[in-house]
Amino acid sequence: MLSRVANSLYWMSRYMERCDGILRLLRVNYAYSQDEFEKFSWRPVLMIFSEIPPEEMERIKYEGRKVLQFMVTDKLNMNSVFCLISKSRENARSVQDNVTKELWQCLNDYYHKVREEGIAVSLQNNDPISVIDDLVEQGMHYYGICEITMARGEGYYFMNIGKYLERAMQSVDILNVKFSELNYSLEERSDPTYWKYLLLSISGYEVFLKSYRSALDSRNILHQIVWNEHFPRSIIYSVKRLRQSFETLKTDRNSEAYKSLSFMIGKLESHIRYTDIKDLEAMGLKDYLQQIKKELLAIGNAFNHYYFAFN
Amino acid sequence: MGVSSLFQNYPSENGFYDEMYNGSSIRLPYQRLYEFLKNVPVEELTQKEEMARRLFMSQGVTFTVYSSGEGIEKIFPFDVIPRIITAEEWSYIESGIKQRLKALNHFLNDIYSNQFIIKDKIVPIDMIYSCEHYLREMHNLKVPHDIFVHISGIDIIRDLDGTFYVLEDNLRTPSGVSYMLENREITKRIFPDLLPHNAVRTVTNYPQLLHKNLAALSPRHNSNPNIVMLTPGIYNSAYFEHSTLARLMGIELVEGRDLVVENHRVFMKTTEGLQRVDVIYRRVDDEYLDPLVFNPDSMLGVAGLMSAYRKGHVAIVNAPGNGVADDKAIYIYVPDMIKYYLNEEPILKNVPTYKMEDASERKYVFEHMDKMVIKKTNASGGYGMIIGNAATEEEMEDYKKAVLEDPRQFIAQPIISLSAAPCFINGKLQPRRIDLRPFALFGPSGIEIVPGGLTRVALKEGSLVVNSSQGGGSKDTWVLNI
Repeated sequence: MLSRVANSLYWMSRYMERCDGILRLLRVNYAYSQDEFEKFSWRPVLMIFSEIPPEEMERIKYEGRKVLQFMVTDKLNMNSVFCLISKSRENARSVQDNVTKELWQCLNDYYHKVREEGIAVSLQNNDPISVIDDLVEQGMHYYGICEITMARGEGYYFMNIGKYLERAMQSVDILNVKFSELNYSLEERSDPTYWKYLLLSISGYEVFLKSYRSALDSRNILHQIVWNEHFPRSIIYSVKRLRQSFETLKTDRNSEAYKSLSFMIGKLESHIRYTDIKDLEAMGLKDYLQQIKKELLAIGNAFNHYYFAFN
Repeated sequence: MGVSSLFQNYPSENGFYDEMYNGSSIRLPYQRLYEFLKNVPVEELTQKEEMARRLFMSQGVTFTVYSSGEGIEKIFPFDVIPRIITAEEWSYIESGIKQRLKALNHFLNDIYSNQFIIKDKIVPIDMIYSCEHYLREMHNLKVPHDIFVHISGIDIIRDLDGTFYVLEDNLRTPSGVSYMLENREITKRIFPDLLPHNAVRTVTNYPQLLHKNLAALSPRHNSNPNIVMLTPGIYNSAYFEHSTLARLMGIELVEGRDLVVENHRVFMKTTEGLQRVDVIYRRVDDEYLDPLVFNPDSMLGVAGLMSAYRKGHVAIVNAPGNGVADDKAIYIYVPDMIKYYLNEEPILKNVPTYKMEDASERKYVFEHMDKMVIKKTNASGGYGMIIGNAATEEEMEDYKKAVLEDPRQFIAQPIISLSAAPCFINGKLQPRRIDLRPFALFGPSGIEIVPGGLTRVALKEGSLVVNSSQGGGSKDTWVLNI
């Protein structure tokens, strides 16, 4: 497969995953904001998914509708749904012959949908959840079409690599922001709503109720998002799927590249798998999360270097 | 309701050849379609038109117009009423195009080697060397199977009495074939069962035919040659076509930056290292193919490509240098080429054409400018031309000046009254001028033309310019089996 094509598929997939994460987070936070008597701060959401300047953050962090506009339809925010879908489609367009026609059409439809003027109007004046649900659903089409129509070849696995790398990073970022609000302490604050909405925003609430059968305790939350292998948004699950997708790329012709990346991914997976909550408390949650993030970024760079560098 | 209001007020007398209506009745090939359409309510046809538009949009059958940093997707306007060609008309067109292409291909082989046609004074030497698309670099370069024009689009028009003429030859990187394929797919959706009912011949095997020809050109004798399609990239207005054809043939779509030449061999950069490339179907113009040989600023091409080609390590389709054969001034000599190389009479006629270089012909044209079209010999897309009866005095004077400065770059033709076909516009059928571009494939086993082509339509009332860049649209083109 052409390096440029692999690169485009990888980014197409990363942008779609990021878009899905953003939409779910927005949906739940909006619902959460309707439950709050006090001013609801959108700061964590903006921290996770945008590079908003501090003064701008101060200006809009209590303005739900403005945040929604900024995160969904803003043309200048590189991480708005509008921009992510445009970039994802642009990537797909440049490799149209490497994705199925159905997948291309789905992305193309999504692109046209997110450009409809009605979206900005509804986000401002009507029920934002309907708008977000509509977009999430289009994203679900995308995931379904990938699974059903894409041949299990290099292209599909590069898409998966992008998807799971992005997802792992998101989960780390979400934990990082959420626990930073508590100064990375596992003891502080037992407000169940805080955790409930965190879980809802990553579609993990029901899994949690079934797996832990206990109060929304911060240790259990941490366990689910870091180590729960049955939870598809956990870090360990994402890294494992990343490794499995990567392993299919092994051929005789790229042994150096394969060895280097295989080492990095294996090391990260073991690092997560063979740490438990006690080690983590000893190490400090903040450092632990930063370490994982650093390794994920290094893996992304190594893909760039070994597989996508075509200049 | 009897006859649908569609046909009300359809003009019966126009001063041009109407493909459907002979002035008093519906022509035979259109009768089945007419029987069908007269029972279709206008609203339903409007819905079908909207459905076609949506399908094009959703499938990304679009070109992007960039303004203020943002891309706007446009569709190439599609008229839902098909254009019909009978089996008899088709076999005439087909044999005419094959004959013409054979001669043009001989001409290219000759002009880049022995130049007998110049020595025998059929084509003046000045005509060749003054053509800016003539490539010295192609001299004595042996092209695989002696084929230069692997893929061509020959533009055919019909005059007042229905006679077919060749308006121009497109032998470089003709586009539009994806619209031929997509238009047919859309017709299948909006008019279920209508195609088999009318015994319309299929066009869908075009990609397979092309792929077969490309594979046959591989310089390495292996069973699975690496064939790639070279595109200028997503910003090119024909990008949709490039990606569609690559997909339909299952070949890799590459950009110049994906390729590299090492030791006179072409490779593509893949996730597993470099992979040898055997055949390049390029949609990049000659000028941009290789910065070492042609335009040194080109980012679209591949440095060293021409040396690999010259050594026979890679096949390039179409061959570089074809522009000397589809130059509008060389066009004048095509009937002579047919006689010279094939010893045959031309089947398809040329439109009478005046050389502006010739003083007496120029004088005649200037005296009758209101009945003439004057064109630049190297321009395409409907650019650089003036239509006498639609131009102002001032425009004509300016154009005359330009012609006098460099007469070799211009030719003139009498204004041909292109034939018209019914189009569904604003809720009723109205005649609009059309042409036809069939796509011919010249492979080692001969010339094949899928029965059909792209019918382009001048959607503006009274307009004679069918080019998409000038507000033209297209129609599905039916070649009947009877």
